[in-house]
Amino acid sequence: MTTQPVRAAGPLVIVEASSDTPLVWFDVAIRGGASSDPRGVEGLHRHAALLARRGAGRRDRAELDETLDNLGAALDVGVSRDAVSVSGLALSRHLDSVIDLAADVLAEPRFSDEEHARLLRETPQVLDEIRDDDSALATRWFDWLCSPGHSYGRTSLGTEGSLTRIDRASAVDTWRREVTADNLVIGLAGDIDDTTAERIVTRLTERLPTTGRAPIAVDVAGGTPPAPARGRRTILVDKPDRTQAQLRVGHLSVRYGDPDTAALAIAEAVFGGMFSSRLMQEIRVKRGWSYGAGCALRRSRLPHWFEIWMAAGIDVAGPAVALTLELFAEYAANGPTDDEVDFARSYLVGAMPFHVATARQRMQLAVRDAVFDLPPGYTAKLPEALGALSGEDVRAACRRQLRPDDAVTVAVTTADQAQAALAAAGGGTLTVVDHDEY
Amino acid sequence: MTMSWQLDAEAPAGRGTTAKRYRLGNGLTLIAAVDRRAPIVALQTWFRVGSRHERPGATGMAHLFEHLMFGQTESLPPGEFDRLVERTGGESNAATWVDWTYYRLSLPARDLALGVRLEAERMQHLVLESGPVESERDVVTNERRERVEDDVDGWLDEQLMAHAFTEHPYRWPTIGWMEDIRALSLPDIRAFYRTWYAPNNATIVCVGDFDEPALLDLIAHHYGSIPSAQLPEPSQVLEPAQTRERVVRAPKPIATDRLLVGYKAPGQDDADWAVLEIVATLLAGCPSARLYRRLVIEREAASSVDAQLTPFRDPSLLRLAVTAARGHTADEILGVIDEELALMADKPPAKAEVEKAKAIAETDFWTSLVDVDGKAEALGHYEAALGDFRKVNSLAERLAEVTAEDVARVVRTYLQASRRTIVIAEPEHEDAEDEA
Repeated sequence: MTTQPVRAAGPLVIVEASSDTPLVWFDVAIRGGASSDPRGVEGLHRHAALLARRGAGRRDRAELDETLDNLGAALDVGVSRDAVSVSGLALSRHLDSVIDLAADVLAEPRFSDEEHARLLRETPQVLDEIRDDDSALATRWFDWLCSPGHSYGRTSLGTEGSLTRIDRASAVDTWRREVTADNLVIGLAGDIDDTTAERIVTRLTERLPTTGRAPIAVDVAGGTPPAPARGRRTILVDKPDRTQAQLRVGHLSVRYGDPDTAALAIAEAVFGGMFSSRLMQEIRVKRGWSYGAGCALRRSRLPHWFEIWMAAGIDVAGPAVALTLELFAEYAANGPTDDEVDFARSYLVGAMPFHVATARQRMQLAVRDAVFDLPPGYTAKLPEALGALSGEDVRAACRRQLRPDDAVTVAVTTADQAQAALAAAGGGTLTVVDHDEY
Repeated sequence: MTMSWQLDAEAPAGRGTTAKRYRLGNGLTLIAAVDRRAPIVALQTWFRVGSRHERPGATGMAHLFEHLMFGQTESLPPGEFDRLVERTGGESNAATWVDWTYYRLSLPARDLALGVRLEAERMQHLVLESGPVESERDVVTNERRERVEDDVDGWLDEQLMAHAFTEHPYRWPTIGWMEDIRALSLPDIRAFYRTWYAPNNATIVCVGDFDEPALLDLIAHHYGSIPSAQLPEPSQVLEPAQTRERVVRAPKPIATDRLLVGYKAPGQDDADWAVLEIVATLLAGCPSARLYRRLVIEREAASSVDAQLTPFRDPSLLRLAVTAARGHTADEILGVIDEELALMADKPPAKAEVEKAKAIAETDFWTSLVDVDGKAEALGHYEAALGDFRKVNSLAERLAEVTAEDVARVVRTYLQASRRTIVIAEPEHEDAEDEA
C-alpha cells in the first residue's frame, strides 16, 4: 500500500495496486457528510451529491450516463453520516476517460434547475420504499430515537418536511464549500501503478480549490452535546398485517477508535457477532424465535449506537424483547467468560485476512480509517490490540460502555397483536406511532 | 498425489488462475484453482439438488437442509461445526436455489484440512433427530415470514413463479410453502439426505492459497471411502408453452403499485440466453437503459426499474421489476414497457448501444472474479447447474458475439405479451375492510 500523508494543500491518497483483474476502483471521500446538514434541512448533503452526479462539465445527465455506460463504467455517489463519497469502477483501459468524468462531477457539476426539481420529487418516494421495508423502517426509527439530539440521529435521507427546505443554492454552496482538495481522501485500487495513480489524483483535484484549513469535522450535535437518554423506552411502529416484529434494541455508545474499541469488538462478537454468540444461540438455536439475531457497535467517527437486532414472530415478540433485555443486562454486568474472550479473539484475529484479501477491501478500510481520523493501518492492526487484552479488560469495558438500563427498543409490527406483550416486556414506557409518520 | 483422481478439464478462472476439474472413483468432482494472493481459501461443496428435485406437498425440503447440515453429526455434537469454523476466523454459510444447494466455507489457508474433514463428515454422518429438526423448522418458518409474508418483493417473486409455471417444479418457492414446511416428516427428511447427499452428486470447489497435490490427497483421504449413491433419474418435466398473458393482483400495505413481469425465456445453456442478457441490460441494466430513462427520468412514473434474467438450467424468465412513483399505476407502466419492447422488436438497436451492453457485461464478468469466494461461486454454479465450469468463460464469449439483429430477433421471439405473467401489488385502501 502507498499512503501519502496529509499535505498542507492536498488530499490524503491511498493506493492499493493489484493486477488480479483489468479493473480499477476509486473512492473519493469528501469529509463532512450528512451529519453536517443544517438543522431542519436534513437531506441536503445527499441532495447535493446526487445533483452533482446528474450532469457535469459539458455533459447533461443523459450524456454523462451514456458516456459512462459506453465505457462499461460505474460512477456513484453515496452519503454516510461522516462523508459524501464519489466512487467509481472502470476497466483499466478506460480509466483516464472515467476519471475525467469523475473530475467533472467534483469540480464542475451543473446543478441544473430541472434535475434539482426532479430530485425533490423523487426523494419522498425513497421514503415510501423504506416504509414498505420493515427492516429499513425499524432502522430509520431506531436511528431517530436512540439518542435524541445526536448528530447521527438525524436522517441522511431527510423527512417530508426537511426536503421542502432544500433549495438549489444551498446545495451548490455545500458542494463548493466541502469539495476542496484538502478535504478529500482519495483511494485507488486495482490495476494501477504509482505513476498512473499520481496522474489520476492530479486530474481529480487540479480544478478544485484548496483552503489551507483542516478537513471538515462534524461534532456530536453541531456544537451542543445532547444529554444522554436515560431510562428504557419502547417505540412500537404500527404497521398492518405483520406476521413478525422487526426489533432493534440499543443505546448510544462510543466512537470507532475509542480506547475501548478492541475490547468492545470482543464483547460484540461474544454477545451477537458470530453464529456461536449468545444472542444467536438463545434466540434462534434454542427457541427458533427469529431467523437471525445479532448486535454491533456501529463504526463511525463519532460515538454511535450499540445495536441489537432480530425479527421475531409476532406471537413471541414480547418474550423475545424480554429475554433480550435480560440477556443484555446480565452481559453488561458480568461480561464474557475468559473462554468466551479467547474464542472471540481467535475468531476476530483469524478473520482479519478476509477483510484485507483484495486490493479494493484494503483501500476501502484505509479510506474509512482516514475519514474517522484514525492513524494509518488502525483497523489492520486491531489484531495486535486484541491480543493484548485480558478477560477482565473486556468485562470492564462492558461495565463502562453497555447500558441496558437506558436501552431503547423499536418494534415494527402490528399493534393490535403485539402491543400488550411488548408493553409487558420490560422495555420501559411504550409509545405507539404510525409507520408512515416519519 | 492419489492415483485415483483423474484430471479431465482445465480452463482459466480469471487472470493468473487456472481451474482444474478432477474426478474421483466414487463420482466426486473437484474443481481446484490455486490463487495465492491472500492466505485464505474458499471451500464450497455444491450438490446437484435444489427445489426442482422436490415433490408437491414436500416443498422446502432442499432449503431445510441448508439449515440442518450445520447440526449434529456422528462425531460432532450440536453447535460444534460452527464453533470449529469460527475459532479459525472462518465463516460458513449455505444457499439453495432451484437447481442446486451449496455449502460455503471461507477459511484461513492453514485450516483447509479442518474444512475438508468437516464437509466430509456432514456429507455422510449427519444426525437427523426430532428436536433439532423442529427447532430449525421454526427458524425456517420465521425466515419465510421475514422474506415472503412481510416482504412485498418476496411475495411478488413467489407469486410470479407460481403463476408463470403450471407443471415445472420451478413453480414452487425454494423456501417452500408454509404448510409444506410445517408438514415435512422426519422419515422423509432422512430419505432426502440419503438420496441426494452423496459424492456422485457433489462438486467440491476449492479456490485460494493451497498446495494442489496435497489437496488431492486430503480430499481422497476423507471422501475416497464414501460410497456413491443410486441417484434418481433426472426430472424431465416440460413446461407447456404459454399462449396467453396471466395477471395476478393483490392489495398490500405499501405506498405505491409494485409490478413484476416475467417473460418466458430459455435456460442458461441456450444460445439465446446471452442475447437476452444483453436485452436485460439495454432495458434496465444501467443508468442510460431504455426503460430506466423512460420510466424513471422522462415520465417520472417509476422510482425504480430492474431487469433480471434468471440463470436456471431449464427455461425460466426474464423479469422486469418496477416500483411505481406516487400518482402512477402499474397499468400505465405496462403500457410504456410494451412501447419500448415494440420499438426494440421493430428496429434493431444501434451497434453502439449493443457495444455499451457488452462493455457492462465485461466489467460484470471481471467483478465476479475479484475474490476467491466469487471465483468459487462462479465455477460451482456453472458446474452444478450446467454441467461444466468452463461455461463461465464461454458465456463471456457468447456475450461478446451478440449483434443488434440478435437483439431484435429475441425480443420478437420471447418478449411477447402472450408469453408473460404479471404480478401487481397495489396499496391497500383504508376503507377496503369496511366495504368488505
